[in-house]
Amino acid sequence: MDIIACIKRVCDTSEADAIKIDSSQRDIEKSGLAFKINDWDEYALEAALQLKEKLGGTITAVTVGPQEWNDILRRALAMGADTGIRIDHDVASEDPYIVALILKTVIQRLPHDLVLFGAQSEDFGSGQLGAMVAEMLGIPHATLVVSLEAEENKIHISRELEAGTLESYTIELPALLTIHTGINQPRYISLGGIKKAMEKELQVMSPNDLGLSVDMLIPMVKLKRLELPPKGKEAELITGQPEATAGQLAKTLKEAGIF
Amino acid sequence: MSSIFVMAEHRNQALADISLQTLSKGRQLADQAQTELLAVVIGKDTTTYAEKVAKWADKVIAVKNDRLEEPLAEPYQKILAFLIKERKPKIVLMGHTSLAMDLAPPLSVELECPLATDCTDISLQNGDVIVTRSIHNGKVNAAYSFAPCDTVIITARIGEFPIEEGNRQGQIEEIDFPFEEEFNYKKFEGYVAQEIGGVDITQADVLVSVGRGIKEKENIEMVQKLAEVLGGEVSCSRPVVDYGWLPSDRQVGLSGKTVKPKLYLALAISGSFQHVAGMKSAKMTVAINKDAGAPIFKVADFGIVDDLFKIVPILTRKIAELKDN
Repeated sequence: MDIIACIKRVCDTSEADAIKIDSSQRDIEKSGLAFKINDWDEYALEAALQLKEKLGGTITAVTVGPQEWNDILRRALAMGADTGIRIDHDVASEDPYIVALILKTVIQRLPHDLVLFGAQSEDFGSGQLGAMVAEMLGIPHATLVVSLEAEENKIHISRELEAGTLESYTIELPALLTIHTGINQPRYISLGGIKKAMEKELQVMSPNDLGLSVDMLIPMVKLKRLELPPKGKEAELITGQPEATAGQLAKTLKEAGIF
Repeated sequence: MSSIFVMAEHRNQALADISLQTLSKGRQLADQAQTELLAVVIGKDTTTYAEKVAKWADKVIAVKNDRLEEPLAEPYQKILAFLIKERKPKIVLMGHTSLAMDLAPPLSVELECPLATDCTDISLQNGDVIVTRSIHNGKVNAAYSFAPCDTVIITARIGEFPIEEGNRQGQIEEIDFPFEEEFNYKKFEGYVAQEIGGVDITQADVLVSVGRGIKEKENIEMVQKLAEVLGGEVSCSRPVVDYGWLPSDRQVGLSGKTVKPKLYLALAISGSFQHVAGMKSAKMTVAINKDAGAPIFKVADFGIVDDLFKIVPILTRKIAELKDN
């Protein structure tokens, strides 16, 4: 089974307590923030690896981004992907449609039984990309996939609905899925894997190489500006050393009649 | 401005709450733009839904077909594409639901119209549609506009738009949609209910809830002790279930349970909107988190910015002492 996994690089803001908007008002200040592979994409890669282990075939990891994004392709290779392809285009705050168009153009040149995406990104979280690419390629798709079993020509999947319900489908291949967290446990990368990944060549191409001109890549959705959310209500903070704060909180809970 | 479409969703024979939210927002935008609100309901039998959504709409388009029993993205896309091409609404609004995740992106590609998903605000400024999205873990708001176009498709974040009672009586137009296509390439096999465990967290007065910051399964025991001394149960956010540290029936949030305890004690939970949607009705919320910028502090009544591993053992002991006195 030939699988393509589309991945992206995000800055990790999950524990960043003071985010600043940069002077362009269209991006955040990235200095001091760590970068990583998007959480959901790691689950998509692991799903691809498990299918390859069972059914054989190839895994190609594809990303659209500037040169720094090579590191997530190396990570994908270290996990076990066979090939890494980067389309050199700065997609910061770009309309997902444009990224979808670029990815569709790459994917249709490659053999693909199954195309996998993360269900959404940690930074912008639009959750649009995979399902857009499926429509552009004219193949069936399902988003928010939490279980996956493959046969030769079809797959059985379940996808997550609201409030803990799932729905299941049988889908003919080739197909595209967007993978939700929790579907598997992404593997750790071995030292051997990292060494092998460093020896592999990454393929780099430009949108122009793919026959996509600048005027085909004009976004329909335009970022105007970024703002920090209004202050709003804030919790009353209990401050001090742990002994004091925990003691104060215990008292507060008692006074509130919790115990 | 041309009309506004709101697609109303239903599951398990009930109109989804999110649809009342999108209808309320759609009504407000239609009034501001002095245009019509058209509600679209799709199903095998749409009568009850159509009557309900008519309260917000100037017109209801009820699309009926025996093969539309389940809300599936592929036939919905065919129907909406047909209606949008025919009536050219300025805005097509739906909830950012699992159905919309499958449906809205392909629809936007098919119709070549811009799409903004999971929006937390929608406004009209000098005739232009402006949307706001919450990005970077809820720490930044982004405003977007659209290139000139006939129609924009927008999905609205669940729980973000208040429900305002409708007082209209929109006219209901029933359409039988005779599509031929079988969609055999994607066969619906049915629903799978969640596994049922021994504990019903929705019934607990006190929930001690843990997030990713609990770091490993072995550390749950420490939290269990705190829950015990408070007479409560342990619940969690999504990553804790993803990592297999707690079963899925302990999960609070949009994809888990909705809870209303007297006390919700959030330990190392950042407070994503998906999580907050499941616990915002708690009477009292306390957050303990190392990250002072965590959105949970905007929801909590009291907070301690610190490491849970330092606070929880002391807190457990202090509560036990106060109980003894």
